[in-house]
Amino acid sequence: MNVWKLSWKVSQHEARTFWLGWVLFILFFTIPVGIGWALGRAFDALSNDDSGLVYRWAVALIVLETARMASIHWGALVWTRVWIHMQTFLRANLLAAQVASGGPEAGQPVGSAGEAVTHFRDDAEDVAKFVDGLVDVSAGLVFTLLAAFVLSATNLAAAMVLIAPLVIVAVATKALDSRIKLYRSADRQATGAVTGLVGDVMAAATTVKVNDAAEPLLAQLRTLVDRRRVTAVRDRVLEEGVDAFSRGAADVGLGLVLVVGAGALASGQFDVGELALFVAYLGWLSFLPRMVGRALARHKQAGVAFDRMSGLVADTDTANTVIDRSLPIGIDQTRVRPPIVRPERVVIDRLDVVGLSAHYESGAGISDISFSIGRGDLVIITGPVGAGKSTLLRALLGLAWQAEVSGDVFWNGTLIEDRAAFLVPPNAAFLPQVPQLISDSVADNIGFGDADAGQLERAIALAVMDADVAEMPAGVETMIGPRGLRLSGGQRQRLAGARAVVHQPELVVLDDLSSALDVETELRLWHNLAEAGMTVLAVSHRAVAFDQADLLLRLEAGRLEAT
Amino acid sequence: MVCVNSLLVLAGPLLVRRIVDRAGAGADVPELRNLAFAFLAIVIVGQMVAVAVTRSATISAWRTTNQLRLDITRHVLGLDHEFHRRHTPGELIQRVDGDVTSVSELLGRVVPKALGAGLLIGGMIVVVVVIDWRVGLGMLVYVGVAIAVVLLLRHRAVAESSDELGAFARLYGGIEERLNASEDLRSNGAGSHAMWRFVEDSADTLGSSIRRESAFLGMWWGVQGAVVAGTVLSLVASTLLVSHGAMTIGTAFLLFQYVLLIERPLEDVVHELETVQKASGAMRRVAELLAIEPSIVDHGTRSPGGGALDVRFEDVGFDYGDDQPVLTDVTLSIGAGRSVGIVGRTGSGKTTFSRLVLRLVDATNGTILLGGVRIDQISLAELRHRVAMVPQEVELFGGTIRQNVTLFDPNPTDDAVVAALRAVGLDALADGGIDRTLGAGGAGLSAGEAQLLAMARVWLRNADLVVLDEATARIDPVTEARLESAVHKLMAGRTTLIIAHRLSTLREVDDIVVFNDGRIVESGERDMLAADPTSRFHRLLSLSLEGDDEAAVAEAELLR
Repeated sequence: MNVWKLSWKVSQHEARTFWLGWVLFILFFTIPVGIGWALGRAFDALSNDDSGLVYRWAVALIVLETARMASIHWGALVWTRVWIHMQTFLRANLLAAQVASGGPEAGQPVGSAGEAVTHFRDDAEDVAKFVDGLVDVSAGLVFTLLAAFVLSATNLAAAMVLIAPLVIVAVATKALDSRIKLYRSADRQATGAVTGLVGDVMAAATTVKVNDAAEPLLAQLRTLVDRRRVTAVRDRVLEEGVDAFSRGAADVGLGLVLVVGAGALASGQFDVGELALFVAYLGWLSFLPRMVGRALARHKQAGVAFDRMSGLVADTDTANTVIDRSLPIGIDQTRVRPPIVRPERVVIDRLDVVGLSAHYESGAGISDISFSIGRGDLVIITGPVGAGKSTLLRALLGLAWQAEVSGDVFWNGTLIEDRAAFLVPPNAAFLPQVPQLISDSVADNIGFGDADAGQLERAIALAVMDADVAEMPAGVETMIGPRGLRLSGGQRQRLAGARAVVHQPELVVLDDLSSALDVETELRLWHNLAEAGMTVLAVSHRAVAFDQADLLLRLEAGRLEAT
Repeated sequence: MVCVNSLLVLAGPLLVRRIVDRAGAGADVPELRNLAFAFLAIVIVGQMVAVAVTRSATISAWRTTNQLRLDITRHVLGLDHEFHRRHTPGELIQRVDGDVTSVSELLGRVVPKALGAGLLIGGMIVVVVVIDWRVGLGMLVYVGVAIAVVLLLRHRAVAESSDELGAFARLYGGIEERLNASEDLRSNGAGSHAMWRFVEDSADTLGSSIRRESAFLGMWWGVQGAVVAGTVLSLVASTLLVSHGAMTIGTAFLLFQYVLLIERPLEDVVHELETVQKASGAMRRVAELLAIEPSIVDHGTRSPGGGALDVRFEDVGFDYGDDQPVLTDVTLSIGAGRSVGIVGRTGSGKTTFSRLVLRLVDATNGTILLGGVRIDQISLAELRHRVAMVPQEVELFGGTIRQNVTLFDPNPTDDAVVAALRAVGLDALADGGIDRTLGAGGAGLSAGEAQLLAMARVWLRNADLVVLDEATARIDPVTEARLESAVHKLMAGRTTLIIAHRLSTLREVDDIVVFNDGRIVESGERDMLAADPTSRFHRLLSLSLEGDDEAAVAEAELLR
């Protein structure tokens, strides 16, 4: 992993804005060369008792300072855009990998969403901070070179003595590098544990309440936040320490200048004007090692961040965190919703599953499953809890990410190379046992912005949801709340059912429907699916489903039993 | 320590002033060199003290804010069911952790810095007054004006900062939700739709960040203007006084250095004001959150008698304050120790009925009595202890099997936990050792197993009234058979309300209550209803036994 190269790509996501910001920052940092010079001249004039000249230099100071302010004003506004663009770019790559249906972009699903949010929040920011630090370093470098030139021309010996503290700062920071990385990683882990628990607790608030479990959970949370306090203090103190150390280098530099220049001061060769010049520049000179130190620290943190982010993207390859993509988020950018890309519809004739196996690390899974589905068939899978029914559906659909999967699936006799990419609407649709909804409208949860009113109406009727939608205040435009929690469990299940049939997929794959549906609703749903002539693969325990099935598959401990 | 640090910073320029004046007066090289070494020593000690200050401040800041994190979590957990329906866990994570971390940055970094800056500026004015009271007075006025300007400009920035935090909370809340729904999005080919929503949320964060930055820049102009004015004013004052012989060049140099010293804390203030803004925005949101009162008030003191609880509903009605009654005129009496099956269509009011019994919501009108005591007169702690629930959707925690069964309560013995797991038929979990980790979100457990685990929680609690809300719905026939005996055991010695759609689960119950459109349309002993061909329950039974879907749909229509 090359943090420099990756960060460069991040910075060049909005290259024009980036370089405009950069130029303004350079301007902001080079103007002080003139300011220091003017101050030195003013003190010269002061010690020569030339009031008129002092006032003229004072006016020059005001002009220069105003120019400096103007450049930073514009620069800061530009840089805010760069800052958000860079982080959005990284977040977009992480999210795209997490929601891609197969293809080269898809990454491993995350365990806990609450914990994964820290990658989007903190890790993206750490990378942006590193780029930010590099811009500071480059500006500091320009200032330092100019200042070094002016100072050496003024008093070479005094200027030379400044090199030592600057070098020491860089070396010391370098020495602390590995520790910074270690501390940061530990802190992030501890933070992930805290946000993970808080997320779990908030998602299960009602369970916590009726079980009166708040206090033991808070005790657990206390343990986690205490652990994080230790890691956070270590991390922050080290960062502040490095910062204070490099900032102190300016004062140490002045001390050294005074020690070395004592002779010249006594003889009057080193006058007050020159001392003023040194003092004025020193404050700014300390900026470079400070920024170098910070950039080095952030280089490590950015490394940790890329490392962690890679866990979310395809092949856990850090290069996939920085794939170019269009993200029109600017105020002046017009946002046009991109067309939704779907695989070509291939009318189903038959589906053959051959020797499908999927094994999780825990040992659970399915072994050597083979069966066929013909057009218009209803195939029912049944079996006890833990027999691998859901695993079978997921392995077939290419969704069993954490499992070791082997075996093939053929669509009309042709091998499906990338099942996750091919088995999506309009070819296949999946209704999981516990469907997850999004705080959006009913329409968007069903069609994901890609279904017209007619399609929605048909799907809602098919999923026995028409009566519910009719009662909603804004019909299909009703917002369903975070995770769809404004709906009842049955409504959520049926809404997800509507989502599964909205694009009239060739194959509908249903996990256990009885989870949240009352018996008459489920019966109607089966009836509707049969009437629509859909090809269905479903998990069920209900006799009514068995009766209708063209093929009944009984799973026991991951294997098919003869039926 | 902050004082020591400020004193050391103040002393530095005084030494330089002495060096300049002594050099002008023709002092020898060793004297100047000793003064220079003294300056160097002061600077180095000052840096060490500064790091020590950071350390102790950071530690105490995290101590304080960790307590705040726990307090907010406790408060939010006590809030209504409605509140949790409206806020995503991601959003609440941002409140409990993100916002509080802003506050902790404020306390750990900004407050000691501000304190140091205050002492520094105060000390500076004292020093200058001692040297020349007129300059000192000028400096006092100058500092006063500078601070006033910054504070005036600060107000607007805080409002914008709050907006920005809100936009980010929505962004992260949305991301959390999409990650959670990742499988649904993938299998529906909805990736590009999710990305589009993300782009819209991100655009909001950019807009709000720029607004916040603009507000912030106004403040920056104020501070920087003050510093420039200070430098120029000190130059002018020095010129006047030096030319009249009222001030030495060394003192002029001291003034110059002090103005530079003010610049540093003022610039810090500008940088840190961002943190201050974030933190005050965060504190405001936290305060708003803490100000939300749960509608369920805990002022009960009475205790119903021990053992199984009887349940009485007297003319109970419930609505969400929108004139759309969810329950109407529910009057019902359930004897202690009875088991009751609650039947009805989705949306008929069964779930709300169970929430009322659990006091997750309070009735809009009417009276609910448990064990003869009005439910709002029982303390919540006692109520939660005696009434347990298996919810519709089982939430699991990232933690061990044991922690998931006990909900992190360390008190139950391992044997008790194992016994509870076996009772509900989760022998496989018990056999492998209960200190094994369950993945977050229940990874590694099927939905059926998760439901069984939730029953084990109830088993362990040994409550007097149990609400099983569609508890067996996700369990296949084999496991259900195992569970049936467990449920039978669970019913013994307590009152049990079973809300189920699968009538087979209701074979064991004593009574049946049928809900329709928020009203009780039928109730009575199970066996009597089952035997009565005109009862709704009888029709439901025949429907589930026949399994003929045409007839079933027709029957379902009848029920509506």
